[in-house]
Amino acid sequence: MPEAVAVVPWVRKLLPTRVNNRLPVSMNDDDTRSIPEKLRDGWHTFNEIYDGVFFAPYRSAVARERRDKEELFMLLCFSDMIGIPNPVNYYTLELLPYMYEKFHEWHLRQGMDHSPLDGFKCC
Amino acid sequence: MTQREHPRVSWLTKKILFFGGKGGVGKTTSATATAMLAAQRGRKTLLVSTDPAHNTADILERKVGRVEQLLDDNLWGLEIDSEQAASEYIDEVSKNLRNRVKPNLRSEIDRQLEMARISPGAEEAALFDRIAGLVERVENTYDMIIFDTAPTGHTLRLLSLPEMMETWIDGLISRRKQVNEMSALWRNLTLHEGAEHPDDPVERVLIERKRKFTRMRRLFLDRATTAFVFVLNPERLPILETNKAVALLEKYRIPIGGMVINRVLPTDIPDHPFFTSRKEQEQVYLGDIETRFKRFPRVTLPLLDRDVVGREPLSRIVECLDSVM
Repeated sequence: MPEAVAVVPWVRKLLPTRVNNRLPVSMNDDDTRSIPEKLRDGWHTFNEIYDGVFFAPYRSAVARERRDKEELFMLLCFSDMIGIPNPVNYYTLELLPYMYEKFHEWHLRQGMDHSPLDGFKCC
Repeated sequence: MTQREHPRVSWLTKKILFFGGKGGVGKTTSATATAMLAAQRGRKTLLVSTDPAHNTADILERKVGRVEQLLDDNLWGLEIDSEQAASEYIDEVSKNLRNRVKPNLRSEIDRQLEMARISPGAEEAALFDRIAGLVERVENTYDMIIFDTAPTGHTLRLLSLPEMMETWIDGLISRRKQVNEMSALWRNLTLHEGAEHPDDPVERVLIERKRKFTRMRRLFLDRATTAFVFVLNPERLPILETNKAVALLEKYRIPIGGMVINRVLPTDIPDHPFFTSRKEQEQVYLGDIETRFKRFPRVTLPLLDRDVVGREPLSRIVECLDSVM
């Protein structure tokens, strides 16, 4: 994990929140916006670029890392189903309802249309 | 009939008592009599049988159910059915799961959980869960809970569970925390509104489990609260088995309350070669017990002229205990 990402939380506080997950970017000739509006939009544009330059590269790395950790956790919880003994299998059963969807996402991502495990079918 | 050479034992000051030992040595008799004595002395006592082959009911000659029921003044009884407890738990998981999966998968889910139901360890974990549930109530509902346990091996494993489970669950929690940290980072990177850490049900469930294990372990290891009492006969195999079990309990630091030496022959036996020989042999074993278990309080119970079934013989055992506790 790149250390630079560690500064993200506080940098993020300085930035405006997205509106509907979109930043307005428009510079047309028939621009009727007032000066403050232009300033605000300009600031948004700046942020869009800033985000693209500094954050976007990390996004995929973080997403991958998060997925890996999640999948390892899933494996630890339900290893019994693939034949690896899990002494707390009985107690991790109750996590099953919360993790069913994640499991489905996982096998799709691995290129399997259906669950590869006999004891664990989700679709 | 009663022997007073041992110092008074303090079992009745505990809140949780386990009676364990080799099969057939008289665990149920000792546990039941101790529970009756505690009840007679005004302590609200719950007698719990955890042995799948329940025989509390046989000794008391009355039905003891799967739910707590009043047996006598201040005395309640319960036989835990671990198979049923495991089934109930899995039904609960199944119910939660059904709401989240497609209807066509429900039979699949049921098949899957059916395997978990019969998997090794399920009943043990269910039994453990039930014990944890009862023990949590020791201060509010009962003054004392007496567990009449299954033969040694089974019970020792059960008592060593909290430590092992806790370690394992700890590992899962720290892994889960890492997942959640990455999720928080992801939310920060994507600049979504409300980057606050949302409540994670998985972590919540795990932490709740850990809390239960920790509390249970603390109670089990507390000398003022808990004692494990071994029941044995003056015979070779029960002595050897108890010896091994003592070493194991000490390893897990579970407090040992002492021993009940059950079915000791009366002193005034007729002069007959058979009985004399038996008595001689018994003396050897009693000596062995004396040397091996010197450091523990011991209670001696006599072999009665009849089976200990029903109130009257039981009350004779209670009298014996009364004189030393």
